[in-house]
Amino acid sequence: MKSARIAIIGFGVIGRGFAQALQQKKKYLKELGVELNIIAVCEVDGSLVNEKGIDLEKALKGELKKQSDWDSIKAPVVIEKHKPDIVLELTPGNVKDGEPGLGHIKKALSNGISVVTSNKAPLALNYSELMSLAEDNNVKLKFEATVGGAIPIINLYQNTLKINEIRSIYGILNGTSNFVLSKMDEEAIGLDDAVKEAQELGLAESDPGYDIDGIDTAVKVAILANSLMNRKVSFRDIKVKGIRDVTPEAIELARKHGYSIKLIGDVGNLEVSPRLVPKGDPLDVSGSLNAVMLDTDIAKDITIVGRGAGAIETASSLLSDVLEIVG
Amino acid sequence: MVIKMKIDMQLALKDVPGSLLRALEPISSHGGNIVSVLHSRGEKERVEVKVTFKIADQESLDLIRKEMEKRRIQVSNISVEGKRYYSKKILSFILVGHVIDTDVRDTIDRINEVGLVSDIDVVMPSPEQKSSVMMSVEVDNGKLERLNSTVEKVCKEKDLLLISSIE
Repeated sequence: MKSARIAIIGFGVIGRGFAQALQQKKKYLKELGVELNIIAVCEVDGSLVNEKGIDLEKALKGELKKQSDWDSIKAPVVIEKHKPDIVLELTPGNVKDGEPGLGHIKKALSNGISVVTSNKAPLALNYSELMSLAEDNNVKLKFEATVGGAIPIINLYQNTLKINEIRSIYGILNGTSNFVLSKMDEEAIGLDDAVKEAQELGLAESDPGYDIDGIDTAVKVAILANSLMNRKVSFRDIKVKGIRDVTPEAIELARKHGYSIKLIGDVGNLEVSPRLVPKGDPLDVSGSLNAVMLDTDIAKDITIVGRGAGAIETASSLLSDVLEIVG
Repeated sequence: MVIKMKIDMQLALKDVPGSLLRALEPISSHGGNIVSVLHSRGEKERVEVKVTFKIADQESLDLIRKEMEKRRIQVSNISVEGKRYYSKKILSFILVGHVIDTDVRDTIDRINEVGLVSDIDVVMPSPEQKSSVMMSVEVDNGKLERLNSTVEKVCKEKDLLLISSIE
């Protein structure tokens, strides 16, 4: 039986989704001969810590603070003191400086602990530094969940397509903006109305700027450029134009000429902008779906489509990274 | 006996009555012998047509090309005896903003210095509101980058949103 002691840092939507998926797949993991023992769940103001294992069912039900294992110690202390085998860094992203996730990841790696993360900002800002730190300490840093939610784009390339040289990558990497553009196309409505609809469905934040201004897509473009195209770039190197100025008339005109307008991350050119995609093209996916198209020298075009967000969907990528580290 | 050259020509025609005949006329009027005409109608507004014909010489082919250019017929590819003779790309993009008020004639002229604007479609809700203009530009493959930078420069100067194609 292989086992790993895991500390989850950040118990919001993604953290809870991971805990749920772990509960759901308990039997399968046992059959696989893997025991994943959650020894700590860290939040902003303290942590649940139990070396024998946290009761996830209980943690999912109530407030963490009210539980008997609650302690006021913060994540960095938990990492140093308890030295888990794997740190799951699932705090929200912050593209200004990558914190607090960046500090957590550095702390874990420099303590010889492998990291699995869904936090895009630290990788989009400091990819090379973090990968070198992982290599120097002989541990792994896995980040499949940072791009495309459940879509296994990074592992697909690194595990099975590595012999191919990638010539270009185009991606619809933000479900919210794709939902908004699809609604504008299907219902001939303006951007504001489509955003409102997305907000009502819980697909957009009250301030939708991070999604519709292309920031989220740019962060993912930076990660893909580093991890799949070996480019040493930061999020700040990406040229970004969002969808705020796309009018219903432009969408109508595109439709008339056989195109959809999509917010595309053009990884090869380090650019995010609204682009014309031919109707019926593999990238012409609607709703909140994500899609990534790789153009490679040997395998040629490969397109992968799936759900780019959602707690339980993202947990699929996180679990797959954890299992790869456990071996 | 005169040995004729086999030419394969790919055209993108407007899906309107008479456009195929208009496209084939220059071939027959310059002594071309049409062998086959294949067309595929996709979801786009234009119909892709592949014409195979035989002609006596290079000069006839150049005359056919010039006549087609004059008629604003989009020629996307030509092969002579199976070898690519000349290759052009058609770039489509949408401009959003005050495209008309920022001197659309100047925009077209500057694009025409690099390629040829072969199709324009305008939606203008009202003079105060932003307009959307779809353009198709025929350009030699070697001038693609120059065309892109020209369009980007014009858009920056005139504060227009450029929505280019991923094709």
